[in-house]
Amino acid sequence: MKKINMKKANVIVVTGMILAMLTGCGQSENVISGEVNNSTNLSQKEENAGQSQNQNQNENQSQNQNQNQESKAENAASESYKGYAFISKDVVIEMDAEAAPIIEALGEPLSYFEAASCAFEGLDKIYTYSGFEINTYPGKDKDYISSVILKDDSVTTVEGVAIGDSREKLEQVYGTECTVEENLMIYEKDDMKLRFIVKDGVIEAIEYVSNVL
Amino acid sequence: MKKVKIGRAVCTIAVVLISLYLLQKLLMPKYVTDVIEGALIAEYYEEEKDHDVIFIGDCEVYENFSPNVLWDEYGINSYIRGSAQQLIWQSYYLLEDTLRYEKPEVVVFNVLAMKYNEPQKEAYNRMTLEGMKWSMSKVKSIQASMTKEEHFLDYVFPILRYHSRWSELTADDLKYMFRTKKVSHNGYYMRVDVKPAENVPGGKVLADYQFGDNAYDYLDKITQLCKENDIQLILIKAPSLYPYWYDEWEQQMEDYAEENNLMYINFLKLIEETGLDFSTDTYDGGLHLNLSGAEKITRYFGQVLKEEVGLSDRRDEQELVLRWQEKQKFYEQDRDEQLEALQNNQ
Repeated sequence: MKKINMKKANVIVVTGMILAMLTGCGQSENVISGEVNNSTNLSQKEENAGQSQNQNQNENQSQNQNQNQESKAENAASESYKGYAFISKDVVIEMDAEAAPIIEALGEPLSYFEAASCAFEGLDKIYTYSGFEINTYPGKDKDYISSVILKDDSVTTVEGVAIGDSREKLEQVYGTECTVEENLMIYEKDDMKLRFIVKDGVIEAIEYVSNVL
Repeated sequence: MKKVKIGRAVCTIAVVLISLYLLQKLLMPKYVTDVIEGALIAEYYEEEKDHDVIFIGDCEVYENFSPNVLWDEYGINSYIRGSAQQLIWQSYYLLEDTLRYEKPEVVVFNVLAMKYNEPQKEAYNRMTLEGMKWSMSKVKSIQASMTKEEHFLDYVFPILRYHSRWSELTADDLKYMFRTKKVSHNGYYMRVDVKPAENVPGGKVLADYQFGDNAYDYLDKITQLCKENDIQLILIKAPSLYPYWYDEWEQQMEDYAEENNLMYINFLKLIEETGLDFSTDTYDGGLHLNLSGAEKITRYFGQVLKEEVGLSDRRDEQELVLRWQEKQKFYEQDRDEQLEALQNNQ
């Protein structure tokens, strides 16, 4: 009787092992099949944009810019976005947001480029607008925003910082709590990064980047 | 009685191990119809190994150079040990692995990989590493390549990683369980379609243009390994228009080549000489060349290998001629089938 029980136990253990292997408890394999996890756990509500808004107003910018800024910053304060968002023509661009509605709202880009990733299906797409560029990555059925790169000083962040501004202004607006790597100052929020490349005390590049990729 | 018990135990263990082995074979990706780039590294082991030239590197080698042209027009026997986003340490260990089987006269390394200083993506790691035969080179390559989320044991027992693929299995997984079909032409991935390069973006501003220490360490190792084995190392930058190749990167590679007395060819500077036309010679808007483009730059490179490196023409070796006749048939068949499929889709 004992022997029979032992045999049964062995069979159960072996079967269990194989089933565990098959149905598994490991990590997601999305990455293996070339798909990217879109971690849009939208979103913790943040107020930083509102805080920085007041500091922006002290800057000596043109009246128009200030008004524009205020309205953007008001939006930023009243709405709640995932991480730092970029706004153009009242279109809010958040990292990891679905790309299609944003691109449609922004209208025809100045230029469009698509890059097939080596080996995997799907395209990384680059939409260039006046003053900035939007990059997307492919999900299962839709594209998502992977980064927004500001190209010149004709556009600013919602909080009013532009290429060509000083490091002092940057720290005034966003604070000093950030990761500093050589010329890079990185502000992280809600699974995204706002990156400033600062050389000789002047901002040379501004990028909103998703953490997903 | 005791012997019977031991015999039963051994049988049970054997049955379990064989079952797991078969399951692993079934569940592992086959890279035959989709993402065929994952099959490139393993194909090398089926080859006769007496190559004059070995290419190592990322998609900028396996999509841009045609070993068939090197043979057909110069009698040079070459092979591409390339894989998608092959990182420089993976190239180094693949070179080590290659030297276990043969010693080529020339190794060609594409320098785009210098831009990566640390592990990147598991999916790409898998495509390079799983195809390698087990050796210390593979072990070291896995260790150098793993991202924080990866585990060495998952490479030793891939079933641990692929166990939940059971729901994605197709007929191909059964058909190619033990033997896959050939997908490349001596490592070259052929594409005949055309998509002109338009609106290729320039480079974005980088915080730091200096290649990383880790990347340089492995470039030094490749250089050293070639020197120790009396192999001429040639550095190249393939003429892909994207990702952007910065002037600052170019300068570093030119300096490195000069300091180490290496030949360095940047094909981006040879568009006119090679006759490349990015309205007809690329299949994905300038990232990779199609067959027409690959044949053009290979023709140019063959001339360099013949005249400047002095590689000899081996088209008088009967065995090699027969081997390449077979390869040429497969090459032409692949080309014709792709052209026919394109025509049917139009």
